[in-house]
Amino acid sequence: MLTKFETKSNRVKGLSFHTKRPWILASLHSGVIQLWDYRMGTLIDRFDEHDGPVRGVHFHMSQPLFVSGGDDYKIKVWNYKLHRCVFTLLGHLDYIRTVQFHHENPWIVSASDDQTIRIWNWQSRTCISVLTGHNHYVMCASFHPKEDLVVSASLDQTVRVWDIGSLNKKTASPADDILRFSQMNSELFGGVDAVVKYVLEGHDRGVNWAAFHPTLPLIVSGADDRQVKLWRMNETKAWEVDTFRGHMNNVSCVMFHSKLDIIVSNSEDKSIRVWDVTKRTGLQTFRREHDRFWILAVHPEMNVLAAGHDSGMIVFKLERERPAFAVSGESLFYAKDRFLRCYDFSTQREAQVIPIRRPGSASLNQSARTLSYSPTENAVLICSDVDGGSYELYVIPKDSFGRGEMQEAKKGLGSSAIFVARNRFAVLDKGNNQVLIKNLKNEVVKKSGLPVPTDAIFYAGTGNLLCRSEDRVVIFDLQQRLVLGDLQTPLVKYVVWSNDMENVALLSKHTIVITNKKLVHRCTLHETIRVKSGAWDDDNGVFIYSTLNHIKYCLPNGDCGIIRTLEVPIYITKVSGNTIFCLDRDGKNKAIVIDATEYIFKLSLLQKRYDQVMSMIRNSQLCGEAMIAYLQQKGFPEVALHFVKDEKTRFNLALESGNIQIAVASAKEIDDKDHWYRLGVEALRQGNAGIVEYAYQRTKNFERLSFLYLINGNLDKLSKMLKIAEVKNDVMGQFHNALYLGDIKERVKILENAGHLPLAYVTASVHGLQDVADKLAAELGDDVLPLPTGKEPSLLMPPTPVVSGGDWPLLRVMKGIFEGGLDSIGRGGVDEEEEGAEGDWGEDLDVVDVDGLQNGDVAAILEDGEVAEENEEKGGWDLEDLELPPEVETPRVSNNARSSVFVAPTPGMPVSQIWTQRSSLAADHAAAGNFDTAMRLLSRQLGIRNFAPLKSMFLDLHSGSHSYLRALSSAPVVSLAIERRWSESGSPNVRSPPALVFNFSQLDEKLKAGYKATTAGKFTEALRLFLSILHTIPFIVVESRREVDEVKELIIIAKEYVLGMQMELKRREMKDNPVRQQELAAYFTHCNFQLPHLRLALLNAMTVCYKAKNLATAANFARRLLETNPTNENQAKTARQVLQAAERNMTDASQLNYDFRNPFVTCGATYVPIYRGQKDVSCPYCTARFVPTQGGQLCTVCDLAVVGADASGLLCSPSQVR
Amino acid sequence: MAVAAAPDHLFHLRNNFYLGSFQAAINNSDLPNLSPDDAVERDCLVYRSYIALGSYQLVINEIDSAAATPLQAVKLLALYLSNPHDKESTIASLKEWLADPAIGSNALLRLIAGIVFMHEEDYIEALKLTNAGGTMELHALNVQIFIKMHRSDYAERQLRVMQQIDEDHTLTQLANAWLNLAVGGSKIQEAYLIFQDFSEKYPMTGLILNGKAVCCIHMGNFDEAETLLLEALNKDAKDPETLANLVVCGLHLGKSSSRYLSQLKLTHPEHILVKRASSAEDSFERAVQSVA
Repeated sequence: MLTKFETKSNRVKGLSFHTKRPWILASLHSGVIQLWDYRMGTLIDRFDEHDGPVRGVHFHMSQPLFVSGGDDYKIKVWNYKLHRCVFTLLGHLDYIRTVQFHHENPWIVSASDDQTIRIWNWQSRTCISVLTGHNHYVMCASFHPKEDLVVSASLDQTVRVWDIGSLNKKTASPADDILRFSQMNSELFGGVDAVVKYVLEGHDRGVNWAAFHPTLPLIVSGADDRQVKLWRMNETKAWEVDTFRGHMNNVSCVMFHSKLDIIVSNSEDKSIRVWDVTKRTGLQTFRREHDRFWILAVHPEMNVLAAGHDSGMIVFKLERERPAFAVSGESLFYAKDRFLRCYDFSTQREAQVIPIRRPGSASLNQSARTLSYSPTENAVLICSDVDGGSYELYVIPKDSFGRGEMQEAKKGLGSSAIFVARNRFAVLDKGNNQVLIKNLKNEVVKKSGLPVPTDAIFYAGTGNLLCRSEDRVVIFDLQQRLVLGDLQTPLVKYVVWSNDMENVALLSKHTIVITNKKLVHRCTLHETIRVKSGAWDDDNGVFIYSTLNHIKYCLPNGDCGIIRTLEVPIYITKVSGNTIFCLDRDGKNKAIVIDATEYIFKLSLLQKRYDQVMSMIRNSQLCGEAMIAYLQQKGFPEVALHFVKDEKTRFNLALESGNIQIAVASAKEIDDKDHWYRLGVEALRQGNAGIVEYAYQRTKNFERLSFLYLINGNLDKLSKMLKIAEVKNDVMGQFHNALYLGDIKERVKILENAGHLPLAYVTASVHGLQDVADKLAAELGDDVLPLPTGKEPSLLMPPTPVVSGGDWPLLRVMKGIFEGGLDSIGRGGVDEEEEGAEGDWGEDLDVVDVDGLQNGDVAAILEDGEVAEENEEKGGWDLEDLELPPEVETPRVSNNARSSVFVAPTPGMPVSQIWTQRSSLAADHAAAGNFDTAMRLLSRQLGIRNFAPLKSMFLDLHSGSHSYLRALSSAPVVSLAIERRWSESGSPNVRSPPALVFNFSQLDEKLKAGYKATTAGKFTEALRLFLSILHTIPFIVVESRREVDEVKELIIIAKEYVLGMQMELKRREMKDNPVRQQELAAYFTHCNFQLPHLRLALLNAMTVCYKAKNLATAANFARRLLETNPTNENQAKTARQVLQAAERNMTDASQLNYDFRNPFVTCGATYVPIYRGQKDVSCPYCTARFVPTQGGQLCTVCDLAVVGADASGLLCSPSQVR
Repeated sequence: MAVAAAPDHLFHLRNNFYLGSFQAAINNSDLPNLSPDDAVERDCLVYRSYIALGSYQLVINEIDSAAATPLQAVKLLALYLSNPHDKESTIASLKEWLADPAIGSNALLRLIAGIVFMHEEDYIEALKLTNAGGTMELHALNVQIFIKMHRSDYAERQLRVMQQIDEDHTLTQLANAWLNLAVGGSKIQEAYLIFQDFSEKYPMTGLILNGKAVCCIHMGNFDEAETLLLEALNKDAKDPETLANLVVCGLHLGKSSSRYLSQLKLTHPEHILVKRASSAEDSFERAVQSVA
């Protein structure tokens, strides 16, 4: 039982939940009806009009009404909005036990000790039916939730079901009230309206309660015989199904749960019992120490129940509603019903992952409580309260995501279990206060005692545990067995880590404690209601959490605030930007978009990112008293200034932030004495004499003004003040000013004018104004005072001020920040221009060293016999079966002297050896370092005899075949064979062929570079590139047959270009032989080129021939050029011109060995045409053709193979061998 | 506060050493309240860290003849590595000590001897000394020797022994990763995960980065491997394995890696890659001769 709310009061006899609001009515034995908000835990209202105990109370479904019935025989209908009783229904002749509204009709059913059940119409406020039949107190009566039935229980030991269908028909008919009333009166005694349908007998004592099932035709009853009985009914009869025994005293109330297949009963034996409807067994018992239970209430929609007892009531839940979940990256894993489900935050789609054990049929609260996920192993740990705390481990199969069989989970006991590393999880063994570290096979790997008595463990980063004891949490390093952090907290229920694992939020029932990863306290928040869940806004480092009815935020400094209110509780799973992802109680995922402006603003302020603050001030509607108060309180009055329009507030804020200019402006606007005064005070504090003077002037505060002038030494102004005082006839002011000025004459004059002649006389005589003194003495006559003797009089003169006039110099501190902030508004993240990462792809191409070209004269021809022999050998190689058995050899070094026990094994076969055994691809052999076999293979397959150009390929292949791993320090490095085409599913110890440093796509790049160089006319460069392609191809390995064909095609292309380039370069050397030049240019056009290159070749040949006056031939080239539809207009134009010129004179100046009508190939060595039908020999590798005399020579095109040599053909894919 | 087992004071030191952050091991070696045994172990780890950093002479000078056997063994290792031309005398004294029944069974001495014999490519001798086990390091060395001998079956057995002792020990994990890399296939990924775990748990070191990079290389992911290796190069521009693996990566990516190679040739002429390359040239010439 999860108690949600408790009250202390007089005995509670009646309870009723509000359908929508978190309210409950409790009617007390004392006659009071209380209205509680059980979520906030507050008493909303109390209704005290009944005289004596109130036993029945019920909310209306939709109207702001409730009904109550008491021992004063009264049924009262109340309006809780108006806080008063609307009317009273009278009629019952004894205590009223229960009252209930009908869900549809304007009816109330009431049960009374007068042995009747009455049905009332609360709109007409009349009794419409009296159900008689029970012959003892009727303890309860209630409407069926859907049908026209009433069930009642009575101390006459029966439960009765009443048919009120006729009543319903009557109201449904358009009969008028009068008629019905008379009818009712007549029927009151006939009793035809409602008839007893079934009388259920079986209880041995009085029945206290009976209730319908919300959907099924079932009734449950509880009686003083201490039994709970389950009844079933159909159209025609009702019968007893089963009896639940267990209560030790009178059963006072019993009900079906609205959502689960259970019955809840309570009794005077001080217990609440939960029974399984289908299995007919007791599930759970909750006891109270001293209080007998009297009443139960089931919430019609939500998962809460309430029970009333001798000293109050409790609102409780039977099962936890929080779905167990775990967040991993963009995925949320959670348990719902009997499935593990996965929700993708980015796509907002969810899917079923695997079935998990069906939760709790044996007992309540058996469903998943916590869930821990290991992303790399794709494993899930689910903890539940089954068997007093146990866990289940599931590994999600990779392929059968979403379906698949129910897999047998690995189980174990332990109250909490979490992953502490990719493939390790910790299980708490509370009894021994230790954790068991287990692997994914559920085997214990390690045991570790815990530093504090722990009742739950939580994740705290890899290898660490957060252990919770009653009043503290510690972070414990499992490997070092060290406590890394320790903090006193209220009982922590949930732990939420930030993404970077730097911060953690510890959620308790009513508190949130934020700490860093070492549990160093950052801040604590207290809530008045339950904290439900939370997640970190990782972009900002703000913790977002939910309480029962709010989503709130908490800034790093502990400031918190409300983001929005909630209708129903949610469980926040992730915060992403301004979207909050959450699960609700039904396990549905939701995405709530929030306005994050407020907390982002506060955060920016906190982090002193004033530019952002300023831009937010400008661009968003952030205002309100709360914000200003916040700013003021946090010491940012100058920021608040920007928000405020109200001059008084503005003035106050300006004074607070010391911004005198704004204060002056505001003071001018307000223009009242008080503000001027306060401005003056502040200006004085700042030493801003000008403003002080201004303020005093505005308020006409002459005394202060004079004093200001005095201390400033501003004598001019002071004498002006004197005059003003004179004008104003302010004698005292005049005198003061005169005194300040040290003006004796004036003083004497003032005194004299004021009639203080003796004082004037004394003043004058003391300061030596003899004539004035005499004059005054004459006026005074006898009243002349004797001057004090023996004292030296002196003139009181105010000291000269150190600084006179002007304002005090001030350090302008408060400016700057916001000035700067204003400038940099709108400066978002700096858009980083993507650097052209392409770079120079020509760089890739210096792999092949063409230096070796010249010494390629070696004509190493193997004898035919040897070749044949090798061919046979090749046939004998069994390429499939040669796997290395892991344990081929048994150790045989037993005669070793030193150690009699240990026998060292013989070394195994190196991977490179396996490679050579299992492959007939030259590249594999080269990579394995078996150069000689590689060469033999090349020679056999391609007729290659000259290996010098291939040297660097050989070496690179070999170098690239191993990686290097430093194992133990100072021990020799381990070299590891790199294998080709790695795949996740590759089985270990089965060797794939070596990874090669050359691949087909590199050649593709090279080809493109070659084309480019050709177009640019860089023939040497192009030649180098195409040659290097030809030199690399022997080591290329591809997968499919199709790719093999592509490789072969590439050989042809490269050969054509190499031949072309060679001819062209040759032509350029022969400046002195124009005929040969023309010939070569002509042959050049017969290489199989890309169209643009062909055009260039044709243009070239045309030009050469035209210049040499071989117009007919030139015309031929021109024609061919035009046939290619040149895109370059210049080319076409030139061609046309040549054609025109040639048509006039179709002759050739010199004879060329060139017949374009007769198809031919060009000999690769002598560069002469070999016409169709003529004999030729070809290079076994590059397929270049040669005149027969070249047979046996090294191919001049590829520089590798011997012309005319026998060869089995290119082998570049294992698919060719299979 | 009742801690069930005594805290392991040398944990960090050992870990730093195993994972190749030698400077960190040296810097954080000033641990208070160590038992005498722990203190010797601490000194050994510190000196071995210096050896790993190449400061052989410092070790040779600082360890005098009065020091404990393990330290003497460490000194021998320094002598052996510092003077590649006069290995014989070092090996001789090593053998002499091993024959001494009083100290011959010292675990660290056996470990050092194992390392030395491994350098001598006398795997049988090395195995004889290490196979009895005794410390995790001996087991780990054993695993390494078997890998070198291409006997992954034996290596696996050793690893299982280690796993039974402490499956989560850094050396167990490392040895597991080595073996995974050696047997290849799906195990490569597991090796990667082990290094990934390390990188999450502990500060990045060149060794971890190299380990990850090697896994990437074996998975055919040369771009990522290169990124990791460049990161490792930032940490230590002279690390031979980083350079060697960069050379390999460069070859596979079709980039020029000649600078790394010449750097490696300069700083570590004895590195296996350099040796392999030069022997490959010889064998090329030989092969050309033989085919011709």
